[in-house]
Amino acid sequence: MKADLRWLDDPQTFRINQVPAHSDHRGYATLAEATAHHSRFVQSLDGQWAFQFARDPQHRPVGFYQPDYDRTDFDRLTVPGHIELAGYGQIQYINTAYPWEGKHYRRPAYSRGADQPEQGMFSTDPENTVGAYVKRFTLAPALQDKRVSIEFDGVEQAMFLWLNGQFVGYAEDSFSRSEFDLTPYLQPGENLLAVEVFKHSTAAFLEDQDMFRFSGIFRSVRLVAKPALHLEDLTIRAGADAALTTGQLALTLRLSAANKLAGAVQISLLDASGQPLWTAERDAAATIQLTTELPHVHLWSHHDPYLYRLQVTLHNPAGECVEVVPYPVGFRRLEMKDKVITLNGQRLIINGVNRHEWDAHRGRAVTLTDMKHDLRIFHANHINAVRTCHYPDQPIWYDLCDREGIYMMAENNLETHGTWQKMGAVEPSYNVPDDLPQWQLAVLDRAKSNYEMFKNHPAILFWSLGNESYAGEDLVAMDAYYHHVDPTRLTHYEGVFQNRVYADRISDVESRMYNPPREIEKYLQNAPAKPFLDCEYMHDMGNSLGGMASYDALLDRYPMYQGGFIWDFIDQALWVKDDVTGRPVLRYGGDFDDRHSDYEFSGDGLLFADRTPKPALQEVRYYYGQHD
Amino acid sequence: MANTTNLNLTFGDVTLGVSGARFRYIFAYDRGGLESLVRDGKEWLYRTPVPVFWRATTDNDRGNGFSQRSAMWLGADLFTHCTHVAVAVDGQAIPLPIAPENNRYTDHETAEKVAITFTYTTPTVPATTVDITYEVIAGGGLTVAVHYHGAAGLPELPALGLRIVMPTLAQGFDYQGLSGETYPDRMAGGQPGTYHVAGLPVTPYLVPQECGMHMATDWVTVTRERTLNNADPNHQAFQLTVREHGTPFAFSALPYTPAELENATHQEELPAPRRTVLTIYGAVRGVGGIDSWGADVEPQYHLAGDTDHSFQFEIVAGDAQV
Repeated sequence: MKADLRWLDDPQTFRINQVPAHSDHRGYATLAEATAHHSRFVQSLDGQWAFQFARDPQHRPVGFYQPDYDRTDFDRLTVPGHIELAGYGQIQYINTAYPWEGKHYRRPAYSRGADQPEQGMFSTDPENTVGAYVKRFTLAPALQDKRVSIEFDGVEQAMFLWLNGQFVGYAEDSFSRSEFDLTPYLQPGENLLAVEVFKHSTAAFLEDQDMFRFSGIFRSVRLVAKPALHLEDLTIRAGADAALTTGQLALTLRLSAANKLAGAVQISLLDASGQPLWTAERDAAATIQLTTELPHVHLWSHHDPYLYRLQVTLHNPAGECVEVVPYPVGFRRLEMKDKVITLNGQRLIINGVNRHEWDAHRGRAVTLTDMKHDLRIFHANHINAVRTCHYPDQPIWYDLCDREGIYMMAENNLETHGTWQKMGAVEPSYNVPDDLPQWQLAVLDRAKSNYEMFKNHPAILFWSLGNESYAGEDLVAMDAYYHHVDPTRLTHYEGVFQNRVYADRISDVESRMYNPPREIEKYLQNAPAKPFLDCEYMHDMGNSLGGMASYDALLDRYPMYQGGFIWDFIDQALWVKDDVTGRPVLRYGGDFDDRHSDYEFSGDGLLFADRTPKPALQEVRYYYGQHD
Repeated sequence: MANTTNLNLTFGDVTLGVSGARFRYIFAYDRGGLESLVRDGKEWLYRTPVPVFWRATTDNDRGNGFSQRSAMWLGADLFTHCTHVAVAVDGQAIPLPIAPENNRYTDHETAEKVAITFTYTTPTVPATTVDITYEVIAGGGLTVAVHYHGAAGLPELPALGLRIVMPTLAQGFDYQGLSGETYPDRMAGGQPGTYHVAGLPVTPYLVPQECGMHMATDWVTVTRERTLNNADPNHQAFQLTVREHGTPFAFSALPYTPAELENATHQEELPAPRRTVLTIYGAVRGVGGIDSWGADVEPQYHLAGDTDHSFQFEIVAGDAQV
């Protein structure tokens, strides 16, 4: 297959030759490696890459992926990172309107009719910047002679991939992992990897989040080898009986083999101290399902995030261990009782925050240090829940939330408010995804990537369909997908509040944003159908966060009021050197000559952009402390 | 010869001087307020204190249109002027002792107490007045009372206070009240206690705006080391305290006026800090928080422009423990 630039224009083309999404487990060669969380099967490709920037597709270095292409004038760029923050491409911050506002008149493909594909919109866009990335690598010994795939944890917004001059695949969805099987294209010795990143594609219509608009390989890239026998996918269902005493574990394992699927699988459950509690053994098979019960189960919750450890060990027919997969397991019981969400039998109260990934130096390429800092702030201020607004976060964040007992609303990478919210009003005369069949597969794929990757994290209580994307049959299909694949969690979507026709078919909770307390009270007093959550409230822009008492009071009066997520956790602003004083200063939208812009509207955090707390944080600590 | 218990009064042609062993206050009829407040030889005033009607627009104020609705208070904050002065000595009103009325006094006038009331008229439509009364008692105790006269048709107030601009930058301040930056609708998290703040920090909101408010305060002590007096080489710390008089007050201690904050779009645009702007507030509007594009502050945290507001406080020498 050959790469085709017109995929950028087609909402029905969003993944070519990608490995299907699967759980985020990691395989290790030995138990010792598993314990140390260091796998010899993984080879990081982070670091310096060769790079060339082009201002539009017409000026891109065509054929740069060919081994004999002359790349002597390529620059160097650090991966992960945003192209714009490296000095290529203009930085822009904009909220609802699309980043081309005032520059291009656009309607999403097929939004004006099935005969309106809007061809060429992005492939011939004179402002669609392009990054041509090249990385040479030689497989580490542990990866040689094995099946090898490559994982891109985040590439914004559309990417083409080649290895050794051969086309490998194509991916959209900036915030979900894109994985490709490199095995057929690998060669001995040095390999030439090439990635062409386009700032915009039809994915742009789905990724209109209120944030700085960047492009590039902004999360880690790695090669991963699969041993002869490999655990491809793992599904863990860890619940508890109604009495909350017996743990119920159901596992589904999917295996693959380099040659013949043969050997044995040993499955163990250990407690937190490493004592084995249950062991089973099965012959290797494409799919293996097991269930067991655990008496006197130690449940997982915010205050006691107790994690058991599942250990899957794959043996080849000779009995040698070829792969060890550890995975933390948290048993918990999430259920709706009398229209109240309960966790382990207790009414759930969400003391939440919305958290964009943000670092004032690095943009959305946040570091583990940033994440650990954020969790310390959570704990110090009784914050027990996070909404991954409005896209999946770096995978390690989900592990941390499991360990730290932070409830997660795991949100899809979806926001289309520019298509139906104009001049501050609901105006859906054209919108996506709406009921459009041409857009449904793309949004369903995003839902699937989110579910498959993160399905085993006990921290996740809610699957969120996305943010501010109105409501139609495509959102209905997403909701139905989650209910179909995962009966153990609840769905969340606020957009149905804007289009009540779908109220019965979308979202297990009544979710609203910035609803005044008296309006919420009206809902709660009038035969409410669903428990209530504020998916966004207490908009902490600048000097704000007054009046939280009125929301807090609802918690005591209405069991079906279950709290909410403050907007938001951290200001989005960027450190730059002030031309006048030479000192580092924080800059926001419009400070880069970027127009149209929403200027300081990204400064809504409980933390300033440098991660120091705003004064209002003590108010959050007080009120969240009332119901911790 | 100085009287050690009574106040010495100096009935000048344009001012009234009130002094004692360790203090001297000059009330200026022409400047329309308390022009000089000297304690132990150190001047505490850069210009006469003025009533405060404005706060630098917060993001929520901008979003919900409050600043537009109440814009005339920005003009009032900048351009209110004194239109009347009244003096009472030992509880008795006297004719305003400017020349030639003051010809009947001597250089040895004393009293147990004296009260000077400056009345300010706002350039609002309709106009209204604010009375600021300074009462000095023997020993130098100074009580300040502020009374705002509500008038029908005036928009809601951002704040009502008295701005005391000090000639140099303070080293810091101590206060007894609530931790952190608090507002009427955001003060539950403030822990009661005694706090020291180094310098005059401006909360670094992306766009400079109203900040640094401390609600429910019993006292605040400002510490400075330098004066503008060229003959004063002494850089030992010296202090002034504002204490509640009946009810707690709110205050902010910043290096900027609301107008200076209002002008800046980024922190780095604020001028080099040179002075201390201590504002004592009797009433403060809440900051709100439901959203930043229209939701109003909850009604109980509004400040009506058509009703009276009054507050008072004391200014004492040294630190609060003295």
